[in-house]
Amino acid sequence: MLQVENLTLYQDHSKVLSGLDVTFSPGEFWAIIGANGVGKSTLLQTLAGIHPNYQGNIRVDDHLLQDLDPLSRARRMGFLFQEQEASLAVSVREAVGMGRFPWRTSKSQDQSITTAALERCLITHLAERSILKLSGGERRKVEIATCLAQQSRYLLLDEPLNHLDLVYRHHILKVFESLSQKHAVVMVCHDLEAVRSHCSHVLMLFGNNCYLSGTSATMLTAENKQRLFNESSREL
Amino acid sequence: MRQLWFWCALLAITLVVALFSGTVPVPLIDAFNAQAPHFEIIWQLRWPRALNAMMVGSCLAVAGLLIQNLVKNPLADPYLLGISGGAATVQLLVIVLAVGLSPTSLFLSGFIGSLVATALLFKLSFQGQLRPDKITLNGVVLAFGFAAIISFVLATASGQQIKSMMFWLMGDLSFAEPNALMPIIMTALLLLLYRHHRALDILARGNLFAIKSGVDAHRINLMVFIITALLTSMAVAQAGTIGFVGLIIPHLVRLMCGYQHRHLIPMCVLVGATFLLAADTLARTVMSPMQLPVGIFTALIGVPVFLWLNRKV
Repeated sequence: MLQVENLTLYQDHSKVLSGLDVTFSPGEFWAIIGANGVGKSTLLQTLAGIHPNYQGNIRVDDHLLQDLDPLSRARRMGFLFQEQEASLAVSVREAVGMGRFPWRTSKSQDQSITTAALERCLITHLAERSILKLSGGERRKVEIATCLAQQSRYLLLDEPLNHLDLVYRHHILKVFESLSQKHAVVMVCHDLEAVRSHCSHVLMLFGNNCYLSGTSATMLTAENKQRLFNESSREL
Repeated sequence: MRQLWFWCALLAITLVVALFSGTVPVPLIDAFNAQAPHFEIIWQLRWPRALNAMMVGSCLAVAGLLIQNLVKNPLADPYLLGISGGAATVQLLVIVLAVGLSPTSLFLSGFIGSLVATALLFKLSFQGQLRPDKITLNGVVLAFGFAAIISFVLATASGQQIKSMMFWLMGDLSFAEPNALMPIIMTALLLLLYRHHRALDILARGNLFAIKSGVDAHRINLMVFIITALLTSMAVAQAGTIGFVGLIIPHLVRLMCGYQHRHLIPMCVLVGATFLLAADTLARTVMSPMQLPVGIFTALIGVPVFLWLNRKV
């Protein structure tokens, strides 16, 4: 279980979120919904351990997040950046293989897990291509495959559907759904239709430290959607 | 792997050429005959100098590889840390004050100077953790500061002193005496580095990416910083500021064998050693008996080779 207790987040010393309590368990597929700038990415980055500026407790399988060493943290928490720049002429297979770093498994095992991740993301045909020579959508698939190769118990995905075409969105959502039978998958998503048809739970962030969480059936009501819409349009 | 053997062979050939060419022509057989007239020239003069050239070349090439990875800037070179400036400043002061112009005093003053400069840069670029993004600008600015001091010393020095200073500033291997500690420290640092080759691969793709992948980025960055500082300090203390090796060799090696550090590290050692040994041999022989600073030749060979390779890719 990934338990968040009374969490307060800061972005450059200003509070973005406070008093958040939520628990993500394996077997659940969570969506985090909210207006731009409400703290969705900051929350995911904090859970992934790359944003150390927070108060409150984050418990991962009964360990405090800050007590985990980098390797055992990465074995539990997999994270997909919203945007990741590609700067090195690494091949797709090598890039996905980097997801194996936290595991000290044998080379052949790493290779077969990497191959499986490539297949699952339908990018086997790109395996030997340099990541610099890919389109935005193809690169997104590589990043997702890297996360899958990492085999962490909690998958934190920041807008995983960015740059992906409609057909592939459907495919990858199915993949996340089947992963969530054993793992906990948490994704930031703006596509309410996708959330309704694939996610089991929803966390809504409304700003001003208001948030709601529950199963998607109880959360995706007309009232909540209206509130979300009002929050988003207030900025305009 | 084949490239590794190719460069081993090339280094061996370069070494043979270096040992047997120079102002005094030496027949090959003399190297193995202690009674031969040139036995001592080879083993007392040329061998130590060649050994130094190889070690300095390797140190600079690996240091360049590391600093480019650390600050994620292709223009970075080992001297970015202000190391050369710090070393040269202290060394020039030693020459001016003539505290004793032995190779040992030059080595020690250079080493101390570079460590002081590095410590200063570290202090400036450390905010709770090492900030690679701060290193570039702080390093460049510090280097300007040292350059000003060096110019001041040069402007006020006497004619005879200026010549030896200029040699030092352009990089010169003729002062160097073999230093028994250097190969030991170098090997230890390289082995330590090699152990973390996978983490270095991942770090090259960005600090945040590395952290989320389970790399202890702060610790590895710190290690990289310290190893870079030590390698560069040893090179500078031994041979002055030889430009171009640390900038060009890592790029050359990346063009030849990709990005993985398990290849990059040994290849930088080999190519750096070969390159500087060849340049130094030219510096000794082109206008013999006059000796030129090796820094001239590292640039003269390096510029066209690199531009040609970069066009091909």
